[in-house]
Amino acid sequence: MKTCFPCCTGITFRLSLLACVLGLSLAAANAATNKKPVLLSQATNTRAVAFESVSMKAEPFPLTASLPMGNDLRTRICIFAMDLELLPGEGANAFTSDVQDASGKIYPLRVEFVGQVPNFPGITMIIVRLADDLGDVGDVLLRLNLHGMSSNRVRVAIGHSGGGPADDPGAVATPAPPTPPGADQPLVPDPYTGPASEADTVRFLEQASWGPTPSEIARVKAMGFKAYLDEQFGLAPTNTAKGSNYPDLTFPLDDSTQQCPTSNPADPNYNQNVCFRDHYTMYPVHRTFFSNALYGNDQLRQRVAFALHQILVVSANSEVNRPSWMTIYLQALDRNAFGSYRTLLNEITLTPAMGEYLDMRLSTRTNPNENFAREVLQLFSIGTDVLNPDGTAQRDAQGATIPTYSQADVNEFTRVFTGWNFATAIGAGITNFRDPMLPRGGQNHDAGAKTLLNGFSIPACSSPNGAANIACAQSDMTAVMNNLANHPNVGPFISKQLIQHLVTSNPSPAYVERVARVFNNDCNGLYPQGCTNTRGNLRFVVQAILLDPEARGDVKTDPNYGKLREPAQYITGFLRAFNPKSFDKSTTSDGVLGGRSSTDFTGSLDQPIFQPTTVFSYYQPSYEVPGTKILGPAFGILSTTTTLRRANNINTLIFNGVSANTSPTAASPDRPRGTSIDISNLEALAGNPADVVNALDALLLHGTMHPQMRTSIITAMNAINDANITTRHQKRARTAVYLVATSSQYDIQR
Amino acid sequence: MAITRRDFLRSSACAFGSMALASSIDTFGVVHALTPQAASDYKALVCVFLNGGNDGNNMFVSLDQYNGPAGSTVEGYSNVRAASGLAIAQASLLPVSPVSGGSYGFHPNMPEMQNLFNQGKLAVLCNNGPLVEPLTRTTYQNGAGKKPMQLFSHSDQIGLFQTAIANNVSQTGWAGRLADRTLGLNGAATFPSNVSIAGINLFLTGVDTRQLAVADSNTTLANVLQLNMSGSASEQASRLVAFNDLRTLDNNFKLVKAASDTRSSSIQTDNALSSVNPTLATVFPNTSIGRQLKQVALLIKACTDPAAGINMKRQIFFTQIGGFDHHSAEINGQINLLTQVSQAISAFYAATVELGIQDKVTTFTMSDFGRTFQPAGTGVNAVGTDHAWGNHHLIVGGAVLGHTLYGTYPILRLGGPDDTDGGTNPRGRWIPTTSVEQYAATLATWYGLSTADLPAVFPLINRFSTANLGFLA
Repeated sequence: MKTCFPCCTGITFRLSLLACVLGLSLAAANAATNKKPVLLSQATNTRAVAFESVSMKAEPFPLTASLPMGNDLRTRICIFAMDLELLPGEGANAFTSDVQDASGKIYPLRVEFVGQVPNFPGITMIIVRLADDLGDVGDVLLRLNLHGMSSNRVRVAIGHSGGGPADDPGAVATPAPPTPPGADQPLVPDPYTGPASEADTVRFLEQASWGPTPSEIARVKAMGFKAYLDEQFGLAPTNTAKGSNYPDLTFPLDDSTQQCPTSNPADPNYNQNVCFRDHYTMYPVHRTFFSNALYGNDQLRQRVAFALHQILVVSANSEVNRPSWMTIYLQALDRNAFGSYRTLLNEITLTPAMGEYLDMRLSTRTNPNENFAREVLQLFSIGTDVLNPDGTAQRDAQGATIPTYSQADVNEFTRVFTGWNFATAIGAGITNFRDPMLPRGGQNHDAGAKTLLNGFSIPACSSPNGAANIACAQSDMTAVMNNLANHPNVGPFISKQLIQHLVTSNPSPAYVERVARVFNNDCNGLYPQGCTNTRGNLRFVVQAILLDPEARGDVKTDPNYGKLREPAQYITGFLRAFNPKSFDKSTTSDGVLGGRSSTDFTGSLDQPIFQPTTVFSYYQPSYEVPGTKILGPAFGILSTTTTLRRANNINTLIFNGVSANTSPTAASPDRPRGTSIDISNLEALAGNPADVVNALDALLLHGTMHPQMRTSIITAMNAINDANITTRHQKRARTAVYLVATSSQYDIQR
Repeated sequence: MAITRRDFLRSSACAFGSMALASSIDTFGVVHALTPQAASDYKALVCVFLNGGNDGNNMFVSLDQYNGPAGSTVEGYSNVRAASGLAIAQASLLPVSPVSGGSYGFHPNMPEMQNLFNQGKLAVLCNNGPLVEPLTRTTYQNGAGKKPMQLFSHSDQIGLFQTAIANNVSQTGWAGRLADRTLGLNGAATFPSNVSIAGINLFLTGVDTRQLAVADSNTTLANVLQLNMSGSASEQASRLVAFNDLRTLDNNFKLVKAASDTRSSSIQTDNALSSVNPTLATVFPNTSIGRQLKQVALLIKACTDPAAGINMKRQIFFTQIGGFDHHSAEINGQINLLTQVSQAISAFYAATVELGIQDKVTTFTMSDFGRTFQPAGTGVNAVGTDHAWGNHHLIVGGAVLGHTLYGTYPILRLGGPDDTDGGTNPRGRWIPTTSVEQYAATLATWYGLSTADLPAVFPLINRFSTANLGFLA
């Protein structure tokens, strides 16, 4: 750990003084992970122990440094904290900080330095940089976050003293203890081999599955998270030959009018609409997706594959609109979800669906098409900015981000990907959307020398013609996959997005860095058991994401923590929590959630499954929630329209269910069984509304329900006074489920 | 920081406690005195975003450059585009003779645009795109000039068009910042000024301005934001009390608060729209963009109908049509999409005439980028184009000084003076001769943005020779 203190050499004396004079001691440190950091204050109030960096001056702090160092003139201030449980090597990028002014506005502060105070091993000094848009606002409340846990807030004067927001409810002075505390113990990662707490189990299943069910909570709580992960990594999917849950589908004739004529005298049960639905719409794929989400055992593979789909996008909202074609792509995602990133990238690149979607199959030496080359760089592998290992953008001397590639690079990559096409037709009139694409031969691949990224070059091939051209296309493909998969950006770029999809939209850079290190080498993590010094091992990446200290714990208090449940997760999570069944409750749901098209329960929320608008997916990982300065990717599709539809869809599921329907035909209906939920267990508790609310608090909010939320829901339940006790209890339970499931508190997975 | 009227409205809308409301009253008195006078007239900007990057080279063709030098493969429209099957036959282009000179042809499926052009209600802005500062081929290639960030990338270029800030990632769009600065023009009206019919977008997001997003005209305005609750009236009423109460809790968690704020905005707007029922005689095409623009026309009618009590004076709308990323199959793709664009914009203009506000509504196109002049692929069913830069845009309305071109039409030569590309295989990516900021500033000035506020909305505008391209009266 660094021992230099750019801030204040006189700190020792001042802290000694505090330590001698002050009497209030803090509670003994808790051995559990995710302790709350404690920021030190004065003896009798919440005003921070704080100094301006370098100048050592006390508050009020000027906006521009008294003794500026370097070009950045902004003031830095030193604050002091206790009870930090850091992983070995963890430093400033594990922390986030913010201040709030009297008007309620919140300003993020950059944490620039963290180090022990000399002779006070249990006290840590932290240097934060004042935000650029912070003015002379007077008192602010300052907070520090570590591993998703928020500190107490201490008062700091910016510009002038006074004014400022009221102290937080229950805030007390947190002076240094009279006896200097011993060094904080380093955080020892929990092996998660033993039983888990109920609250963290619920949180874990929100991250690792399509949503906790009462039976899975009990089971996973008992077996522990490590055993659950090992089970999930080992579970065979239903289509074992393809390593996927998606069954193989028949490849229809390209011409739908031939495949599905108006009538077929040979088949008495023939129906054109059924034929069209099953071969030319996403209906069969959607049913598989939702049925597996509701009932499948390999939940983690499904969540990871869906996340990967949103990174390596093929959309059926395009020419790739046949379910059999999309199935090959979806099978590749499933098959490699816990495998090698390089293999995944390679297989997806050569999937006919991708070849069609981003036009690589059309690209030849004389008619190059740069669509795939550009998107494989920007979206599927390295992104547009050169990244630090912790996922933050590197910056040049002027503070500008540094592009990872130029148009010239795109041109070179375009040449590498020339000369590929579909394999031989499956049959007459059936384009081969099944097998990996193959080189065209002839002179279609550009056989000249090429320069890829980071100075890597490919020499010209021996001959531009025929078999040599085919071999050249293949060797170039191997080279370009190596060049991309080994680029240092891939680890942080892919890891951060997977964290955002599974755990939280705003991971600390330190969290991204820990996961990216595992991406770079699967032995470089907190859980190396069974590792093989492999790069891009997604199984270990997923494990690192889910067992990280920033992911785990019963509760997270960092105000930036969590993610908006995207529609697929919101709808399936709700159903899984309440025992989803067929409409008549006699059997299972048919997995058809609403209409057949983009108007279903997730499509109406702007997430039509596997049919995003563009290659940029349903929403972008960089989407910032307006007015917050924090990321909230799924907020990109939470509009004034979809917010009400979220509530309305839940209303339908609770009060109506999705009825079976018999179109197009009774023999092959769209919705043979329909969908409903079963909340009879909650209805049985409804004699005492508080019991229902407690059960929902545990199941949906892992025990974080605000007391007034509880009161409001119970009041609404008690307003229902039907004389018939069965009716009364049913209505009360439904009201409670509606209010919790439609709340913003449940919208956000925290 | 001065507290704006919007701050007051937002805080009072959020503050269910009477204490908080009472303490805001004093502030309101002060703020009211500072609020600019509401506008006396109505004006609206309507963006039609052609998502994916429309190939303007085939939407609006220079007939003077149709045939380049005989034998050339790098210069002239047909010389470069005909062999691959991408050139549109000269006879089928819809000819126009702009006041600014020369002869040009609209895409054959845009007769409505040709018609509006000839009526003087449509102008074409040629070779426009994001710029940090004016650039030439020389300063582009030798690095002396500053380039926009992430040229040729969809997401970034959409961002640059929508934010009009070409040298940085901005979290606000130019329409959002414009609405922030012109809030006072709407007087006491509380309806959201910025409305999307195509989902959430950066364009309408301001520092303070939040967009309303509603569905297209398949849903009536009265139902467009409806919260459906089951049960008896009394059950609904008690459930709604709790439903609303929960949004006041846990606001210290920023994402929870953001979700609550979106829903609160939706419910407030629902109340404003619940009783309106505007109708139009104008027939719109039953396409997505047609229904979106119809919904805009219906909203304008409702928001300006004194009987409805919404009383808006300034509004900005966002509509979108996707599918323009024609790396392949461009010929049939553009036939389909430009037909929809032309018919929908034409119907929308007719609706503004029906409402008697055609001089008060300006419709304009934006798109990710133009496309390479040199084709990608070959064969009329396969050929397409790749990502490029400068592009042509349409501006329609009664206030438009039409029947003419603005900006400079590029010289159609691969590796020519307007092409970014050097080397042995230049693709024809035009360096814009006017910037997105100038395009947007012209629209914003007409909308009511003061000259003094121009740099606040368009931070790079002073780097360009003029902030007003002159296409609006």
